[in-house]
Parts: sequence; structure tokens; C-alpha cells
Amino acid sequence: MLLKKDFRKINDWLWEVSKGFRYDMRVPARVYISENMLEQAFEDRAFEQLINVSCLPGIVNYAMAMPDIHSGYGFPIGGVAATKLPEGVISPGGIGYDQNCGIRLLKTEYRKQEIMPFIDKLATEMQRQIPSGLGKGHKTKLSIEQIDKVLENGIPYLVGQGHGTKQDIENCEANGRMEQADATTVSEKAKNRGGNQIGTLGSGNHFLEIQKVEEIFDIEAADAFGLFKEQIVVMIHTGSRGLGHQNCSDYLRTVMQAMPKYGISLPDKELACVPFSSSEGQRFFKAMSAAANFAWANRHMITCYTRRAWENVLDKKVKLDLLYDVAHNIAKIEEHIVNGEKVKLCVHRKGATRAFPPGHLEIPAKYRAIGQPVLIPGSMGTASYVLAGTEQGGPSFFSTCHGAGRRMSRTQARKTISGKEVAERLKRKGILVKCYSVRGISEEAPLAYKDIDNVVEVVHQAGLAKRVAKLVPLAVIKGE
Amino acid sequence: MKKFEILEHTADLKIRALGRNRQEVFENMMLGMQKALHPRVKKQETSTKIRIESEDLGSLLVDFLSEINYLNEVNKEIYKETRFYKFDDNKIEAELLGNKVSRFGEQIKGVTFHNLKVHQIEDGLWEAIVLFDV
Repeated sequence: MLLKKDFRKINDWLWEVSKGFRYDMRVPARVYISENMLEQAFEDRAFEQLINVSCLPGIVNYAMAMPDIHSGYGFPIGGVAATKLPEGVISPGGIGYDQNCGIRLLKTEYRKQEIMPFIDKLATEMQRQIPSGLGKGHKTKLSIEQIDKVLENGIPYLVGQGHGTKQDIENCEANGRMEQADATTVSEKAKNRGGNQIGTLGSGNHFLEIQKVEEIFDIEAADAFGLFKEQIVVMIHTGSRGLGHQNCSDYLRTVMQAMPKYGISLPDKELACVPFSSSEGQRFFKAMSAAANFAWANRHMITCYTRRAWENVLDKKVKLDLLYDVAHNIAKIEEHIVNGEKVKLCVHRKGATRAFPPGHLEIPAKYRAIGQPVLIPGSMGTASYVLAGTEQGGPSFFSTCHGAGRRMSRTQARKTISGKEVAERLKRKGILVKCYSVRGISEEAPLAYKDIDNVVEVVHQAGLAKRVAKLVPLAVIKGE
Repeated sequence: MKKFEILEHTADLKIRALGRNRQEVFENMMLGMQKALHPRVKKQETSTKIRIESEDLGSLLVDFLSEINYLNEVNKEIYKETRFYKFDDNKIEAELLGNKVSRFGEQIKGVTFHNLKVHQIEDGLWEAIVLFDV
């Protein structure tokens, strides 16, 4: 049983459990967290899961967790683990069921006072244009051919079809398309589940928010990102919908069944993994890449529908430019320096966001001198942050947190506060909430989550990313 | 005997079901899962045949529930009864009876193996505990 005494303090923001703690650990486990938050985090089994992650064959340096750590499947949420190619493993649990769940931020040229008279109409129209996908969904269902094109070509395919602009490609992580994607590796079941779900939000903690820039911490970075105080922005949080979920389920079974033939045995079934270079590993990575492209396509279409909604309400052409889009459930092949050498790694980020440093070539040219934009949403009705990657992020393979992280179960949240009360409290703060049912709202109450300001403080102080701007919500839209 | 109940878990949905035999615990877990989707049920009735094969009883339960989750979403229907024609530790052949749905209040992303339990407890009663990612 893991206790606080098993953690060695490296500095105020970083703690380590040595490899000797358990016989099957291949590397130490590290958590980026403050002492206060560390003590609270023992309540669920997340740390045990992190220890299990450190057993993965081929894992490099450390099994790491971010300050929003909480219990997941196999990997904890907020988990980062890199394995050395080609023989290091890939693990579907290191990505999650919602493959390429992620966040994007759209910028307007408006200030708060210009938009407030329209806020209710905008939120209503956005809810109308962007269904949750749990009910009526979209009338158009994509054909298998169209799904395959989206799976292999992501955002560039949709822009080529006349939806959106070149900037929508450039300002997206991976330019909205992972090249290794192969539509033949995604099952028919997954395509059936996803077929009419492009441009839908989903349920749970997915959302759309109309927000304003509350505070600027770094003027140079904010200027480069095109952010200013009182600016109205729109945040979109969703993933690969039923396609990605089915894809993960399919491959978890494949990988679980294949694992014994590679002589791998691990303490948790959900940690199932195979060597990256194995046929199953290759197929999974290609399928995950395809689902990732589907998720980017989804967030891209939601962007297009958002633009349409704003134009309908304001009755003119509206600039809603993409600042950036980040994935926070994904595995990427990246080169990092390990023991002084350049090494190719499979970096798993499960509820964790990439944060490349200034100068990195994958960052769009106009942001490159500043660092990669990082988007961190808070819990409903609290704050969100824009940050930038820093040079000090090397030890975490340039990874940072993804959100506030839950600290209370959904059942507990429902017992503690009603959805009606949550909506009332938000209303008193001047935040409009558009949702189908208040039941889902109680589960997403801010008190069920850690404090986003504390989580971001750790990330900023630890050098994983630096604060650029704080955003606050004006309207929360959760789908029809 | 309570058919099912919803338990504590930080981020997701954990359901415990009971049954007098394996079929019953499987069906009661299904009922718990269906309730958690908060469906708006229509009058139109449906019947769907399924066939599942797995390596052991635990995997069989996960695969059974995953198939139901898939059918819920793709056919937009919810099930209230399972008629098992074949049932052993590795195989299920069954008919699912239910209704069409106009919308769901919740979606299940996946049925996980996390801390999965399917076993006999006291008095020969069967217990299953499954965690669903929502």
C-alpha cells in the first residue's frame, strides 16, 4: 500500500517513488504536484496505477503524472509514459477510450460588452447547430467512403471539401492529420458508431463555452497568440465520439489476447500492451491515428457550425479564428533527448497535453518564438487557462496537465448538490448554462473537481508550461 | 435481492449486480447499465439476436455489455429482457428484447476490465461489479 512516506520530495513541485518500492517497477514514478494536493490524491487508487505504469516494457526515465491526477483505466488520468522504439510497448489504456479527446480555442475580435446583449441568442443557436449526438444528431450520415477519407486525411480533407480555411489546418496539433492513419485498421463497428456523429459534442464533461479573457500574465506571448483583455473567445472540448470509443474497446481486446505471445504480463488488464513493432502494435497505432483524425475532424466541423451559428445571430460574417487545438488522450512518435542521445519514443499522454518549447519546428511559425499554445479547461463555470510550452519541460517529454481533474465521484456529486442548485449558483455568477438535463450538470459541479488555479500553479512553477492568459466562462453549452 | 446498484468511483460509472445464477447476474448488470443511460423510451418494441464468444467468464461479461452498448448507440434502442438460448463460460447466444429510444441522457464510452468481478458470494448468489467509462 502506497503511503506519503514512500514519496521523496525532489522539489516543491515534484515527488518521486523509487524503483525499489515494488519488485516489478522498471523505472521510478514521478508526480508533479504540491504537497497539499499530494495528500488529497491518496483518496483514489491513482498512485497505484502510476506504479503499474512504471512496469511497462521499454519505458524510459519515469512513469509520470500531472497534478490533475486521478484514477483511470490502466493508466491514471494525467499519466505520461514514453517507451523506446522499436521494441518498447504501446498500450491502448495509455490513450484512453476517448481517443484524441482534446480542446481548441477560437478567437473573436469582440470585447465582452459588445457580445453580452447577444449571449443568450448565441448560446441557444450554438446548441441548435451543434447537437450532443445523444438524441436526434445530424440528419446526414457519412458514407463509409467519406468516413474513410476523414479517417485518413482529417482536417485537410474537410478544408479541401470547402469547410473552413488553411489556418484551421496550420493552427492544429499535427495539422489535424496523423499520416500513419489507415482506415482499414478501424472496424466496421467503429465506423457504424461514428457514422452520424461528426459535428456532435457527446456527453459527460464535453462542452462548448463562450468565454472572455480575464487576465493576461505574459503580454509578449498573448500578443503572439492574438489575445487581449476582455476579448471574447470560444472553447470546444470533445473527442472522437463513438468511433474512437469502439476503436479503443476493439484494440484493448486484440492487445489483451496478443500480449501473452510476447511474454508480457502486467498487474492490470487495462494496462494491456504489445511491442510497438509487433503487427498488433502497428495496427493499433494506425487505427488510433485514424480515430485521432476523426476527432480533429469533429472539432473542426463543430468550429464550422459555431461560425454559422454566430453569423446567424449577428447577421454578418464573423471572424472566429482558431488559436490552437491540442489532444489530451493520444500517443505520439516523438524524438527526445535521453541520456544525451536523440531517441525515438512512443509518448503516451492520457489526460495530459503536449507542450513543445520555443523553437520547436512543429509549432506554427507565428508562435514558434513563444512556445506551443497549451489550452487547459477548468471545471464548469470556473476558469480556463492558455499557457505556452517552455524549455524546462524536457523532463516530462514536454507534457503538462489537461484540466482540473476530478476529486469526487459522480454519485457523490449528485448527493452533494442538485443540478438545479449548480445552475442557480452559476447564474448568480452571471454564467448562462444551456443543457438538456440538469442531472448531468450536478455530476459536473465545480466542487467535484480539483481547483484549476492550484493545478495550473504547479505546472507553471514546475516549468512544464508558463501561464499566458486566464479565461472565464460567460455561457456553458452542453448539447441539446 | 436488489438487482443492481450504482457504486462510488471518482470519474465514472460503477455498477454492482446480483443474481441467483450467471444468466441472472448478466441480465441484471445489463438492466443497471441500461438505466444509467437515462433513455427516453418509445413505444416501438424491438428484438435483436446476439452471439458472443470469449476466453473466460469475466471477458464474456465485458464483451456482452460492450455489444449491448454498441447496439444501444447504433440501433437507438434499450433492452429490458435477455432470453439466453446458449450460455456457458465462453459463449452466449441470446435474444435481447427492448424498445426504440428517442434520445439518451448519457453515453457509455466503454465497458472496462477495471477491478472486474464476476463470482459467487455467500448463499450461492452471483455478484458482478463492472466499471464503465462515461
